[in-house]
Amino acid sequence: MSSAIEFKQTGHLDPELLDPAAASNVEKLLGRWANTNRETRGIAECEIQRDGDHFRIEVFGAGENELIPWPPARAKALANLEEEAGQRTIALAANFEFGFMKSEIYIRVNKGVLVIVLYNTFQDDSGRSNYLNREFFYRV
Amino acid sequence: MKGESAKLQFVQLSDRVESNGSETAMDTRALPGVWINSNPNTSGIARMVMSESDGGLSLQVFAVGPDGPIDWSSARVKVFAGVPTSRVGAGFTCNFDFGFAETELQGMIMKGLLVLAQFHRFKDNSKRADFFVREYFALEHGRYE
Repeated sequence: MSSAIEFKQTGHLDPELLDPAAASNVEKLLGRWANTNRETRGIAECEIQRDGDHFRIEVFGAGENELIPWPPARAKALANLEEEAGQRTIALAANFEFGFMKSEIYIRVNKGVLVIVLYNTFQDDSGRSNYLNREFFYRV
Repeated sequence: MKGESAKLQFVQLSDRVESNGSETAMDTRALPGVWINSNPNTSGIARMVMSESDGGLSLQVFAVGPDGPIDWSSARVKVFAGVPTSRVGAGFTCNFDFGFAETELQGMIMKGLLVLAQFHRFKDNSKRADFFVREYFALEHGRYE
């Protein structure tokens, strides 16, 4: 790699980042996923579809008697070169804006389990603390 | 569709709490200190120093470079609790902009271990793929020295 390439860690110079296949293997994330915890009070289901170079993420929050659909978000794949057990996959990061709250989420797959981590920030002065959550999903 | 409960909006039941509107400051005692990567062979972040400053927290990052540690300098940290009713910090986010790339860090503490998700997005024309890394960090506590 040319010395003109800027970096802030050795990992920025990983030749694998120049491999067109670095952010491939996307099929592992596509489809509809259900929370492994049927009593979840967070995300109950989600669906991930390919949308050209990006991905369309639909999330359904757990409601009292029904699912609460979130506005769909678009995400670009990030290469995930160091997943556990040498798995080479991708991760997705997306932002959801609700007005009263925003949610930053990231999604990855580890051995067939979809993992979603959320960082929720309230914007409504309700006194609620910003909070994070992590949930696990299986393909349906 | 969004729900409302006692005037509090929600998009998942976990958002819906009886808020006391408390102005109690967030307890961030679990976060400050020196965090060391559990992987001695990492090619990414080797060490992080979380410090209290100006009533908040800042994070200084030291990454692995070919000729020694690379100091990313410090960034302000945004703290997150585990649930909306908690005032105990359980994680954080912060951002670094290097010009040629930007990195977002999302940390979560689990049983004393810091699980750090890193999102690296290149803004130059180097054709490098944006990438994601997840690593583990332990807090130097000195109790066994």
